[in-house]
Amino acid sequence: MKDQMTPLERIQAYNQGKAIDRLPCVPIVGNTAARVIGVKVSELRGNGQLLAKAHIAAYKLFGYDNIRIFTDLYTLAESMGAKLTVPEDETAYLQAPALKNESEIDSLVPVNPQKDSSLLQFLEAIKCTLDAVGSEVPVTGAVTCPFTTASFLMGTEKLARMTLQNPEAVHKLCEISLQSALNYAKAMLDEGAAPSLTDPMSSGTVISRKHFEAFSYPYLKKLIDYIHGRGKSVTLHICGRTNHIWDLMADAGADCISIDNEASLAEAKEMVGNRVRLMGNVRPSEVMLDGTTEDVKNAVAQCISQAADSPKGLIVASGCSLPTETPFANIHAMMDAVKKFTITP
Amino acid sequence: MSNMEDTEKDFHQKLSDAVVNMEDAAAASLSEEVVANGFDAYEAIDKGLADGMERAGTLFEEEEYFIPELLMCSDAMYAGLDILKPHIKTEEQTQKHKIVIGVIQGDTHDIGKNLVKIMLESSGFEVIDLGRDIPPAQFVEKAVETDADIIGLSTLMTTTMDGMRDVIDILKEKNLKNRFKVIIGGGPISLGFANKIGADGYAGNAAGAVRLARSLCGGAE
Repeated sequence: MKDQMTPLERIQAYNQGKAIDRLPCVPIVGNTAARVIGVKVSELRGNGQLLAKAHIAAYKLFGYDNIRIFTDLYTLAESMGAKLTVPEDETAYLQAPALKNESEIDSLVPVNPQKDSSLLQFLEAIKCTLDAVGSEVPVTGAVTCPFTTASFLMGTEKLARMTLQNPEAVHKLCEISLQSALNYAKAMLDEGAAPSLTDPMSSGTVISRKHFEAFSYPYLKKLIDYIHGRGKSVTLHICGRTNHIWDLMADAGADCISIDNEASLAEAKEMVGNRVRLMGNVRPSEVMLDGTTEDVKNAVAQCISQAADSPKGLIVASGCSLPTETPFANIHAMMDAVKKFTITP
Repeated sequence: MSNMEDTEKDFHQKLSDAVVNMEDAAAASLSEEVVANGFDAYEAIDKGLADGMERAGTLFEEEEYFIPELLMCSDAMYAGLDILKPHIKTEEQTQKHKIVIGVIQGDTHDIGKNLVKIMLESSGFEVIDLGRDIPPAQFVEKAVETDADIIGLSTLMTTTMDGMRDVIDILKEKNLKNRFKVIIGGGPISLGFANKIGADGYAGNAAGAVRLARSLCGGAE
C-alpha cells in the first residue's frame, strides 16, 4: 500500500488539523541504518557521506516520517574530551569520562562544530540528507541535552553524588554542556535541519522532579528557546519513567514529547495531551527486536487506541532508538499497522 | 530491660537514621562509639546500618529517593561498615551466599549494577563484583572459581542483551547450568526475555533483586 502524502505534507496537514492519509509513524532507526546498506556500524562514525547514505536508504526502504541522524549519545561529550569505545559493529559506548575530578571543570571548552572533525562529519551527513530528500521528509540531527552530557563529562555516579554535595559544580558542567549543545544546534540549523533533543539522564528513573527542576529544566528551556527562535519545533525524548515531569517538559517548551515504554500514552494524553504532541511508545527490545510482526501490529494498535485522539496529536513511534539488529520485517510491520489509521477531521 | 540494652538499641536506631539521612560522618562516629562501648558489631550492622539501607531501598521503590540519594545512603552505610567489620566476632561470621555480578560486555552503565551490589551486601550476601564491560565467559570462570551460588547480569543497552544469553549457553555447554542460578536485570530486560534465554529470574530494581536472590537461595538471610 503506497502512501498518498509525503512525510512533510502529512506533518504539515496534521499540524493544521487537515485530513491525512495515515498517522505519522517514526520507528526510531539508529544504527539499524548500517544494516540497510550492509556496512559495519563503526563505519558510519566519522563518515558523513556514508552516514547520510545509510539514513537515506533506510528512509526509502521503510517510508517513515522523520529522519534522525544519530550514531550514539556521546558526540558532544567526546568532542569535549570523553573517551569512547568504538566496537567494529556495535554502537559506541563511554569508556571514560572527560574529567577525573571537579577541579578540572574549568578546563572544559565548549565544542566548535566548524573546527571539530567528528561534528563536521555529522553536519555533512545532515547536509547530504537534506539535499537528497529534504524536500519530502523532515531531517533532524540528534543533540544530547546538557544534564546528560554533564554526566558523560564527569561520570554518572560522580555527577549523581554532586547533585547533593556540590550543586554549583553541576551547574557549571550543565552550563558548558549547554554552550556545546547551542553551538552544535546552531550549526545544524544553519544547514536547515532541526535538532532532535535527547536527555536520558534526566529520567525520573534516575533523578527526582526537584533535581530535574534544578539541573535539567533551565538548560533545556534555553536550548529549546533558541531552536524556537530559529523557527523550528522541538521533539524532546527522555527515557524511563517520566510521568512526574511531563508538565515540566511541556513548560520547557517541547512541542512534542517522545516517551519510553516505561510510561503510559493514555496517562500522558490525560496529563499533557492538550499542551504537547505525544510520540511513542512501542517496546524497542521486547516487541521490535524480539517480537513477531503480529506483536508489533498489536502494540501499534494499543498506542493508537490509547492516544490517537490526544488533542495535540500522536506520532506512533518506538519508545526509544531501535536496537541495531531489529528485524526489517518488524519495522515494515510497524509502518503497515499505521496505514489503516487515516484521519479525516 | 537494662539501661545498657536501651542504649544499644538507641545506637541501632541512630545508625539506621544516619544511613537514611545520608550522613556518612555520623555513621562513622556512631560506629566508633559502638566499638568503644563494647556493643556487638554484627548487631550494629544488622539492626543499624543494614536496616537503614533497607529503609532507603523502600524510599527508592516509593520514588521518594532517587539514584543520587541511594548512592549517598550507601556511602554512609559503607563508612560505618568499614569501622564495624573488623570487630565482628568469628562465631557470628556465618557462611554467606555468594553472588558474582557484573555488567555485560559492550556496556559501561553500571549504576544499576552498583545499586544491586549495595542492596545485596547490606542484606548479607557476599558480592563478587566483576565491574562493567565484562565478557560472558568471565562470569562463568569467576563463579566456578569462587563457588558462587548465583550469577547476576546487568545491562542497560539493548545492544548487549545477547551477551546474557551467551552466559547461559556457556553454562549449558559446560554442564554447569544446574550449579548456578542466573538472574538478570536492567533497562531493556523483561521477565519474558529472562524466560526466553533460560535465566532463573528477573528483577526490575535493586530491592527486587535482593528478594529474588533470597528466594533462590531457599529463603536464606
